[in-house]
Amino acid sequence: MTDSNHIIAPSLQHTLDNFKDCIDLTHRTFPEINVHLVYFDHLINSDELYRYITPLTEAREYEIQNLLIRSQYQLALDSDTVIKGILYGKIAIFHKDDTYLVDAYKPEARSIDASQTETVITGPHDSFTEPALSNLSLIRSKIKSSHLKVIKLEVGEISKTDLYILYIDGLANMDYVKELVERIELIEVDAVHDGNMLIQYIDDFPNSIFPLFSTSERPDTAISKLVAGKIIGILDGSPSVFTAPSSFFEFFASPDDYYQRWILGTATRLLRFAALVITLTFTALYVSVTTFHYEMIPEALLLTLTESRSRVPFPPIYEALLMELTIELLREAGARLPTKIGQTIGIVGGIVIGQAAVQAGLTSNVLIIAVASSAIASFVIPSYVMSASIRLVRFGLIILAGTLGDLGIAMGIAYIVIHLCGLTSLNTSYITPVAPSYFNDWRDVFIRAPLWAMRDRPSQSNTPNKVKMKQKK
Amino acid sequence: MREKLHPFHIAILIYMTQSGVVIFSLPRVLAQHMGYNGWIALTVFYVIVALNISLISLAYRLADGKSIFQIIEHFFPKIAVIPLYIFLLTLWMMIGCISAKRYIIIYQIFVFPTTHPMLIKILVDTLAFLLIIKGIYNISKAATVFFWLVIWTILLLLFFLHDFQWINLTSFYFHESSDIVTGSFRIFTAFLGYELILLLFPYAEKRKGVMKAVHIGNLLTFLTYILVCLVCYGFYSFDQLKRMKFPMLDLLAYIEFPFVERIENLIFSLYLFTSLIGIVMYCWSALEAAQRILPKANVKWLAAIIMAVAYVVSWVPTVLVEVDAWLQYLGQIEIGVAFGLPLMLLLFLLLQKRRDEPYIDYNEPS
Repeated sequence: MTDSNHIIAPSLQHTLDNFKDCIDLTHRTFPEINVHLVYFDHLINSDELYRYITPLTEAREYEIQNLLIRSQYQLALDSDTVIKGILYGKIAIFHKDDTYLVDAYKPEARSIDASQTETVITGPHDSFTEPALSNLSLIRSKIKSSHLKVIKLEVGEISKTDLYILYIDGLANMDYVKELVERIELIEVDAVHDGNMLIQYIDDFPNSIFPLFSTSERPDTAISKLVAGKIIGILDGSPSVFTAPSSFFEFFASPDDYYQRWILGTATRLLRFAALVITLTFTALYVSVTTFHYEMIPEALLLTLTESRSRVPFPPIYEALLMELTIELLREAGARLPTKIGQTIGIVGGIVIGQAAVQAGLTSNVLIIAVASSAIASFVIPSYVMSASIRLVRFGLIILAGTLGDLGIAMGIAYIVIHLCGLTSLNTSYITPVAPSYFNDWRDVFIRAPLWAMRDRPSQSNTPNKVKMKQKK
Repeated sequence: MREKLHPFHIAILIYMTQSGVVIFSLPRVLAQHMGYNGWIALTVFYVIVALNISLISLAYRLADGKSIFQIIEHFFPKIAVIPLYIFLLTLWMMIGCISAKRYIIIYQIFVFPTTHPMLIKILVDTLAFLLIIKGIYNISKAATVFFWLVIWTILLLLFFLHDFQWINLTSFYFHESSDIVTGSFRIFTAFLGYELILLLFPYAEKRKGVMKAVHIGNLLTFLTYILVCLVCYGFYSFDQLKRMKFPMLDLLAYIEFPFVERIENLIFSLYLFTSLIGIVMYCWSALEAAQRILPKANVKWLAAIIMAVAYVVSWVPTVLVEVDAWLQYLGQIEIGVAFGLPLMLLLFLLLQKRRDEPYIDYNEPS
């Protein structure tokens, strides 16, 4: 490492020494004009390279000096700048004793594509990709305002990954911006690879099972958060941008809600909260009822249930855990395999295992329905991270239901509520707007009110400019 | 910055502290002591509680955000008031732990006759401990969420619109009432919990709405009680009501959906939430008193010790009758505290006001 106080004059030899054993470094020489070029081929755009270099190669040696005083060639005065420049996709030009840098950065990147994890039916389909600057351009092109401010930070002691913090001046609460920047500056780790990884370094409760900052791959979501007075962070190399602060209920909203008519949006929102209840409690209730509370089942249904349960040799809790585990195995296998094989896994799991397990007398039909419904319900939750957290919580509830019945479920829910109440996201309550209660915000949480009725920004942003829409008379 | 409690959350907190499993037996107690149409008597209790809250609001106005402990210590050296604090600590801790035991014993009678209640209690106490150490602000947040998880059960009363018979209410008022004084104490304890607002003075937002919120919380409790009792009086005959241990449980057992019936266990399980807030609020109050005695002690340890002692104490009463008797005695003492403490505070505050008033010499020309 070079001492920052000690400036070393740039030289070709020193630069090459620094990149010793870097086989991907390109070093080209032009002896007739006494010019050396050093760069990483894969970080630069070859068209740019030729645009800058052709004038030099076509000139005579005494003309080179005059060409290099053009503004695109920056004179570098210390070796550190040169090395950093090369790492950031610049071409270093060594001519006699002088060193120049010229920017030709354009790394290989995939094109902007539709989001795979956050699909919508209507509305824009573009999603973020890995390069931060391309993501930044997606946002800039949609918010044409000089109030959109960007702070550039670096995370990773070795990786030096760029992180851009975006907020809208006058809408975002500057205390939150300051707090977020402070937290990021405190991170001391070798490398951070993804936005979802970064938020684990900066959230308020790293040990909580729930994600405390929401992440998204969609520019429209990111923009809606920005104009709601929230802060977003774009990490270079990650297609997911994070939002801070976030609330628990934010994870149940999808951009689709706003692109449909409000009644449909509301119905979908309510369906998602019903899905939350189903995924948390359905299997647990099955276990509880079949272990302790048979009286809850009406007589007509009881016959079907007992018949289906009669061949099963295990207590309901083992039966349920076995099936839930199988579903999780199938899901994990499906997620890691290519789409075509994933489909096969679905068929194998759904039909073969499900059907065979019932026929073999390992589980009951009704349980298969309960487990499948709660698994489907868990996929209704738009955020994959939240859905995964809730699926894990469900196992706890099933065990509690198997030991204490309905009371166990109530205890489990009480524990979840107590845990959620203690959580904060960037020092704001995680369960806003339920507690503290902001009933105005309920119009965009539990329902999706007509657009004209949602006039205020969410309270969680604590924004200096509360009104987002003025009604024209 | 420490967050302050908004009046809305205070109203919910008071409601959740007041109401609890007592709602399941209240109609029977009313029938036994207040006789025919005993549900109307609830209005009297509501008014008395409202008057008591008004008394507290006078103290609140004069206290100007000071805690009751600060007010008391202004007059007496700390060492002199420690016995009072120990008394309050013990009382609140006992109410907390015995009401938890009551909930658990009722549950045990119905569902787990062979399970030792103390096994279940350790789980409930752990939940209470986890909430207490999070502080009053988070307790109020939890109370709000629990409120929404429980309040909808009131809608189940709509099922009885069809079977409710006005004739069951009869035209007699308080006929066949017996032992009114004892009964009144028993019924009054169902409203207890509002007096803990005394401890919330320093935590409440300095707004006018705080005491109004307490009144609203109390009104909500009253409305819930009177609705449930009215439905019970109209659904059962008077003699039935007098003999049923938990009329509301039987009421819930009557409801039938096409896919589920006998939901009383499920609903009673949900009442864990209201019971939990009751337990937590009383134990939190005990913790506040304990912190005043030992200001340097670690809060988490102090809470753990209180919960542990409460757990040990709750081993003593073993059956529901004993637990009810204990709660009765403790409730009567708490009624004394509910009226006595604000009166004492008012006295102190008025004395302090007089003492702190600048001396004006009227003889001196202005």
